[in-house]
Amino acid sequence: MTTTSDLIAQLERLGGEFAQAIAPLADEQAIRAAQAQFLGKKGQVSEVMKALGRLPPADRPLVGQAANQVKDAIAQAVEARLAALAAARRQADLARTLDVTLPGRPVGGGHLHLLTQVRLELVDIFAELGFAVAEGPQVETDWHTFEALAIPKDHPARDMQDTFYIADELVLRTHTSPVQIRTMQAHPPPIRIVAPGVVYRRDDDATHSPMFSQIEGLVVDEGVRVSDLKGVLLHFVNRFFGGAGGAGGGGLDVRLRPSYFPFVEPGVEIDMSCAFCAGAGCRLCKGTGWIEIGGAGMVDPDVFGHVGIDAERYTGFAFGMGIERMAMLRHGVNDIKLYYEGDLRFLDQF
Amino acid sequence: MKAVWSWLLELCDLPHAPTVEEGARALTAGGLEVEGVTDLGAGFTGVVVAEVVATRPHPGSQKLTLVDVVTARGGSATQVVCGAPNVPAPGRKVLWAPPGATLPGGMTLSTRAVKGVDSPGMLCSETELAIGDDDRGIIVLDADDATAPGAPAQQALGVADWVLEVAAPANRGDCLGHLGLARELCALLGGRLVPPAPGPDLEALAADLDAAALAAVTIDDPVGCPRYVARVIDGLVVGPSPRRFAQRLRAVGVRPISNLVDVTNYVLFELGQPLHAFDWHQLRGASIAVRRARAGERMTTLDGQERALVAADLLICDGEHPVALAGVMGGADSEVSATTTRVLLESASFEPRSIRRTARRLALPSEASQRFERGVDPELAPLAAARAAALLARLGGGKVARGHVDVYPRPPARPRVPLRLARARALIGAELHAGACEAALLRLGCEVEPDGAAGDGHWTVTPPSARADLTREVDLIEDILRIHGYGNVPATLPALHVGPAPLVDDRADRARRALAAAGLAEAITFGFQSRERALALGLPPGDRRAHPVAVRNPMSAEQAVMRTSLLPNLLAAVARNASFGLGDVALFEVGAVFLRQPGQPLEGEPATLCDEPLRAAAVLAGARPRWLGPPQPWDYFDVKGVLEHLARTLGVGELAYVAAADIPYLHPGVAARVRGADGRILGELGEVHPDVRARLGVEVPVFMFDLALGELAPAAPAQMRPVPRFPASARDVSLLVDAPVPSARVRDVIRAVAEPLVETVRLAEEYRDAVRLGAGKKSMLWSITYRAPDRTLTDVEVDQAHEAIVARLLAETPAERR
Repeated sequence: MTTTSDLIAQLERLGGEFAQAIAPLADEQAIRAAQAQFLGKKGQVSEVMKALGRLPPADRPLVGQAANQVKDAIAQAVEARLAALAAARRQADLARTLDVTLPGRPVGGGHLHLLTQVRLELVDIFAELGFAVAEGPQVETDWHTFEALAIPKDHPARDMQDTFYIADELVLRTHTSPVQIRTMQAHPPPIRIVAPGVVYRRDDDATHSPMFSQIEGLVVDEGVRVSDLKGVLLHFVNRFFGGAGGAGGGGLDVRLRPSYFPFVEPGVEIDMSCAFCAGAGCRLCKGTGWIEIGGAGMVDPDVFGHVGIDAERYTGFAFGMGIERMAMLRHGVNDIKLYYEGDLRFLDQF
Repeated sequence: MKAVWSWLLELCDLPHAPTVEEGARALTAGGLEVEGVTDLGAGFTGVVVAEVVATRPHPGSQKLTLVDVVTARGGSATQVVCGAPNVPAPGRKVLWAPPGATLPGGMTLSTRAVKGVDSPGMLCSETELAIGDDDRGIIVLDADDATAPGAPAQQALGVADWVLEVAAPANRGDCLGHLGLARELCALLGGRLVPPAPGPDLEALAADLDAAALAAVTIDDPVGCPRYVARVIDGLVVGPSPRRFAQRLRAVGVRPISNLVDVTNYVLFELGQPLHAFDWHQLRGASIAVRRARAGERMTTLDGQERALVAADLLICDGEHPVALAGVMGGADSEVSATTTRVLLESASFEPRSIRRTARRLALPSEASQRFERGVDPELAPLAAARAAALLARLGGGKVARGHVDVYPRPPARPRVPLRLARARALIGAELHAGACEAALLRLGCEVEPDGAAGDGHWTVTPPSARADLTREVDLIEDILRIHGYGNVPATLPALHVGPAPLVDDRADRARRALAAAGLAEAITFGFQSRERALALGLPPGDRRAHPVAVRNPMSAEQAVMRTSLLPNLLAAVARNASFGLGDVALFEVGAVFLRQPGQPLEGEPATLCDEPLRAAAVLAGARPRWLGPPQPWDYFDVKGVLEHLARTLGVGELAYVAAADIPYLHPGVAARVRGADGRILGELGEVHPDVRARLGVEVPVFMFDLALGELAPAAPAQMRPVPRFPASARDVSLLVDAPVPSARVRDVIRAVAEPLVETVRLAEEYRDAVRLGAGKKSMLWSITYRAPDRTLTDVEVDQAHEAIVARLLAETPAERR
């Protein structure tokens, strides 16, 4: 005959057994299984409680109370055990170490060619002043490359640009200036474009490549003046070179020197005050304090005549610069060939 | 052109004597860029003019002489030992390098015993001072040399002077002579030009002969030869030129030869007018005719070459034969020699284009042709003839026949150019004053008349004949601006007016950015390449890319034809990098290729522009960027992933990849054509064919794509799709299919069901295992997600949709479910 006190004792013993049973368990699933084994319908606590009916009714609440205490104890033991396990896991996790000095796993590694980077920057700078981008073919007609730019056949200026010919009337464009012609043929003024692109000349040494790139600018409108050309160039040199080599803070000056290009009149060479030595004299400016960066001028009335623009009503200016030279000056590239060889030892530096 | 500073100053009357630096700065600022200034006398220091006062033999050597020299009249003499055979008699002047003097090469002199006699320094030869090539003896100044003893040797040698290297613009032929540069210097610094005036000399040296009787000149082609002036000089004795005269020629880069030849060169450099001297006795018929060459005509030029002539060549002929290629080179027959005594001097002007063509055709550029090509002022001819005749007579001891022959059939009218002050101001954007404009033009040698009828600020300007480049108002405005100074022009910005909005096509740059972001480095390669490289892809004759357009005049075989594909240069770059030990290469290029237009012949020179389609190509060789562990070689799926990324970035709709075993430059089993949604072929993708690799020297597998970037439709702006508010459910299906069934086939079947609840279809696994799956079979695990925009799907809905798709797959692929 099971007595009330026996039952209570059994229940309390179960509580102790449970604690022992889960002590070695290290995963939640096993602990929950043990919990079910003790507390489930067929669990050990239920088994004990089957004897409840045989107890005098007055004792039953005592036993029920004891059973509840055991159930609470078991639940608490489960929670405590799980918490201890979580704490141990956390502890173990925090004990992990890594050789943080190992190299990072490479990501990306791709990049634009230095000339593309420079070109995009140049285009952005001129875009600030409202210039749009125009393009044209590289295999060009003699007419667009020379004739329309007031360089007829047998003109001595053709010596300045030794030309690759494809056929009698087809050349590899020697400058981006034919884009001027195509633009003026296609659009009435006002015109404000830059035309970046590769060009070709029969010239090959450390500073000349038979293919190289230029950026050309053209503004045609009523009332365009030499002073406007100067202002645009001043903006450009300060934006592009202003931060270079310590001179910094803007303040670069532009000097226009008379020169001759058949398609502009007046024509000028563009010098900027040396951005690298603040005029003190260095290798890049050859000690002169000035660096030549391109050619420019006011669109020659004969050029307007070729494209049907009224030279009395409209005036314009054009300028052209070598993109390689910009990159050479700013990034210290000392051999123009490096740009075109696909040599990763060079390309990956930029 | 090289200009001698003292020579320039001789031709100028300037308010103050500028330093050479001031002169160079002024010329550069004026548009005649001085690229360099060389100090002619910089090679030595401390060498002085010394007068010989006594000589006696050296006691210890027959070859040596003891020379007493003084550096001041009546001063004390110094004894110098000299080994030269030409020690002059007392009274003549030599150049003495005393102790402390330095010579070219850096030697500093001291007192040194020579065979037992102390010699304080030495007497110098031309080679020791590096001013000439005469090493046969010491320099002995001409008997009439007026340089005072004690003066720097530079003064006596004519090297107390500078040479300016001036880059004259192509339209300024007038600046290929000292006179033209002097005119500029006067205009820029405010002075007066002083041309040489040979008149008095000519009168003093007149011969009892009449030029007209000795030289009958006819011009058959007055377009080719607008003017021909001839003079005759008689009784010449050919010999060396005086030292300082010859020195000027050396300074401009011409080797002195004889007084006769030197004078023609001297006047060429002085005035810019090329001259030619004929030995009169070698001319037949005492006559000169200027005409075009006849068919089949030949002549021997003075370099000994026999030249076949063409009808466009302009000739100078005597009574019978050609005696010179006009403006280019003289003939051998009539060349002056050491025994010439009578000279016919030609001072002519020739049409630039004609000279240019002949000089180019015969590859005979000369100082003369270079000037004629740029245009020589016809008004210069008589002055140059007179100047040279006077110099010749003076230096060669001859006399000048009276008068000159001047054939000038059609003297051109000088242009009268209207000029408006308002236009000048508007074009320049600076406040210009009428007086300043007028003054600038006058300084340049223009005649300026106010145009009374048009009112104030209007002029009619007649430029000097030397300035053939000044024909239009804008030309005058440029010259006003040159004198006004570009530094005085303010900086403004052009007013912004609304124009037609240009269409911006930035596909190329967007593609570049996308490919760089995908981990590839951008290459930019030449538009031309060798024919072998262009043909390395092995394309069939029907392919436009197999017929590159050739460059007519390439600089090398490596630049012979225009590229028709970006691939060969990229593969060459792979090989090049491999040769440096860089085997892991991920490169791309975006750019134009050059194709003959459809309908054009496939060979020969094209008659039209090329198609220049924009392409994007990439190559992957070697392994992915290395980290720890073994290298992970690139494969087909890497390059395909890059292409998919590119297409996504450009907003191109989905591309289809169709296996293609017939692309000649790709591995037949690892190659695909890329098609757009509309079925157009947009590119090729795969592993480069081993034969192509072998042709281009690439030893490792390369995976590539080549995409017709220019063919892609510009992307419309991306439109937002609603962000899902309800959860998705995923279902997988594992299929057993025949190995050759492409995954795209399965995807197409799933798509064809058009189940609206399907959100994504993903191939999660693909494997083959002959043992477990059977030979010729493969297993594919597809994962499909389902979602409705308006509710959470029930399992029943999802299962229904999924099973319908599975049923279609089993029936149509065909496939078994695993």
